[in-house]
Amino acid sequence: MNILEVTDLTKRFGKYKAVDHVSLSVQPGEIYGFLGPNGAGKTTTIKMIAGLLKPDKGSILINGHSLADQPTICKQETGYIPDRPWLYEKLTGMEFLQFIASLYSLEKKRFSSSTQYFLKLFDLHDWKDHLIESYSHGMQQKLIMTSVLMQEQPLLVIDEPMVGLDPKSARLIKEIFKQRAQAGKSIFLSTHSLEIAEELCHRIAIITEGKLRISGDMETLRHEAGKKSSGLEDIFLQLTGAWEMKEIISAIRDQS
Amino acid sequence: MSRLFQPFFCSFRNRFFPAGRISSRTFVILCFGVVLFIALYLVSLQTIIYFHSQNELGIILSLKIFQMSWALVFTMLIFSTMVSGVSALFLSNDNEIIFSSPASPKEMYLMRYLSISLYTSWMMIVFSLPVFGAFGHIFKAGPTYLLFMVPAVICIAAMATGIGLLVTILLVNLFPARRTKDIVVYLSLLFGILLYLVIRLLRPEELADPERFPDFIDYLSSLSTPATPFLPSSWASNLLTGYLQDHSIDWLLCGLLVVTPLVIYYAGEWVMARLFFTGYSKAQESFGGYRRFKDRDYSPSTMRWFFRKELKMFIRDSSQWSQLFLIGALVVVYLYNFKVLPLEQTLIPADAVANIIAYANIGLTGFIVASLCTRFVFPSIGAEGSGFGLLLTSPLSLKRYVLYKYLFYALPFTILTLILLVASNYLLQIKGPMWWISVITGLIITWSVVAMAIGFGAVYADFKAENQAAVLGGFGAILFLFTALAYELITILIVSIPAYRLVRSWRWDMHFTGSIVVQTTGVILLILVTACLTTLISLKKGIENAGKNFN
Repeated sequence: MNILEVTDLTKRFGKYKAVDHVSLSVQPGEIYGFLGPNGAGKTTTIKMIAGLLKPDKGSILINGHSLADQPTICKQETGYIPDRPWLYEKLTGMEFLQFIASLYSLEKKRFSSSTQYFLKLFDLHDWKDHLIESYSHGMQQKLIMTSVLMQEQPLLVIDEPMVGLDPKSARLIKEIFKQRAQAGKSIFLSTHSLEIAEELCHRIAIITEGKLRISGDMETLRHEAGKKSSGLEDIFLQLTGAWEMKEIISAIRDQS
Repeated sequence: MSRLFQPFFCSFRNRFFPAGRISSRTFVILCFGVVLFIALYLVSLQTIIYFHSQNELGIILSLKIFQMSWALVFTMLIFSTMVSGVSALFLSNDNEIIFSSPASPKEMYLMRYLSISLYTSWMMIVFSLPVFGAFGHIFKAGPTYLLFMVPAVICIAAMATGIGLLVTILLVNLFPARRTKDIVVYLSLLFGILLYLVIRLLRPEELADPERFPDFIDYLSSLSTPATPFLPSSWASNLLTGYLQDHSIDWLLCGLLVVTPLVIYYAGEWVMARLFFTGYSKAQESFGGYRRFKDRDYSPSTMRWFFRKELKMFIRDSSQWSQLFLIGALVVVYLYNFKVLPLEQTLIPADAVANIIAYANIGLTGFIVASLCTRFVFPSIGAEGSGFGLLLTSPLSLKRYVLYKYLFYALPFTILTLILLVASNYLLQIKGPMWWISVITGLIITWSVVAMAIGFGAVYADFKAENQAAVLGGFGAILFLFTALAYELITILIVSIPAYRLVRSWRWDMHFTGSIVVQTTGVILLILVTACLTTLISLKKGIENAGKNFN
């Protein structure tokens, strides 16, 4: 059974169709990359999967449960990491983690061991009893990561995972994602970093103007783009209709 | 006009005049404002007519109230400027963009001065005009009075903003860096004490009681003494009092009113150019990182942690709880007034008057509760900010979220209502049915109004507001306040008939007839049903709308 099953998902903002009949599925143990240019509908899709936006049409099934009919069960099984850290700045890091754990009814024993592990891993242990407002952007992002990773849900939905992270933390995150996938957990990942997508994702979907342009592994993408030995950047530019950018870039290089 | 003023101007235009024309929402706000303006004018007119009709002292008494109003407006404006000045000048998000640009401190000061003036004084200006205008009507001052009164209000507001900003810049520089954010606490404490002293020193109850003075001449002179010439508010009140009485104009006062705001403005600009950077630099150092908090054990109870989160966020945000000093001062002044009420000097028996006051006190307590709900409960959902996203994506249902919010705020408001009602009933020496009527009705009103504040707060939640205090002047907050007051008024009117009959029977022979019992039971059921419906509908609306404004 697929962990995430999105069928015919549509969302309009007034007359503008932000997401247009998008269908996709994510299997257990899979890291699924979700790419697209700015304004393509990635964040809108992600927000619908996380239960933040109500779709106009279509359905979302998480671990076999309908998000529309059983939102509480679906949210219990989904960990969402937004691109900007959502935090309560007047709580300390530890208080924030305790609050989040209480929302998901995390057991005391598991909370203790998981938080200790991740706080140490992300170098946040010495800061856990300080107010979040004193954290840097990267520390806040790592705290959000900790609040989600400590729960070990079957599905992680992540919008731009590496924003604000230092190279060490970025490396750690990538390894954690890989390890989670090996343990059978699924990750739905939106990113602008094609290197990360290429390195981590088993399958990649590209969305443009609200429509899913293509979905598949690197071979499928190469085949579709007609570029047999190309990297993801070339494929992405080809499939998103931005290939002409290459010419502009060469013109700029020539000028300089 | 300063280029820095453009974001403020554009946000204002986009909010109230989207697509270049007046929106239906703006139209409703305008109509609402006009109705309120007229209502204030009529109420002021009736109050001043009442004073005038008393006796020959009426005119002097009403002019004394005129002077007091100016002093109150001026003090309130200085305080609100100082409170919003700390966040607007030193903690604003746009400081990073503006201060890193080549814009001069002079330009920044002009932008902050204008925007803070508009934010803090527009309501005071708009709503003081009908009150002061009513004096002109009663004294038959003619339209020329308006030519002096309107600019005087604007000049007083400009001076108050100038003084508020000047003091704020100086204070931030005087305090150690890590206390910058706590300045608001000290300001509130200061203002609470000041308000208490001003009201107690003015002793308004003595103005209505000539017998407290050794002789009539003393009383007359205490009333007719012009306000102190050292306060700018007195320049305005003395200038207009002269015009109201005999159409005389003191041009020196006119000059002072026009020139002083400019002097204060340039003094503020001078101080800004020299001290702003030091203060701003300090403000950035003070972001809480210096302190370590105690770690507590985790227990997986959502409700307990929800309450703990709400409490911690409230306690650690000094701009929130510092206003409790103000509330404390108001409660003391409020209760003190019951102590000094001259009940024995009235023509009707003292216990009857006490019962009438106790009944009116239900409404006054309700008004305080509604006002405090507007300040604390209404913005509480929007105050979650981006953190609300965490709640929406968590398994916590909106139903439980709204219920927890309601329970969290219902408890302190229940305690406040009980303190206000039980203490004032004790001071009034109320016994018998009125004690129970006031406490039960007061509690029912409080529980419903808290639910209404949650419901309206969810519908009009602004998760992106930089300063939740700014939300208070918004359409949703005003709509909530007036709906809550209308609900309170209806409930008190429903209670009035059985309250009157119960108290009358109790005072006469302590015997209640069958019809009184039936009527009282019916009315209790009616207000209970109304309260339950109001609470349920408000909370349901809250649940339906809580997530709609997020994103």
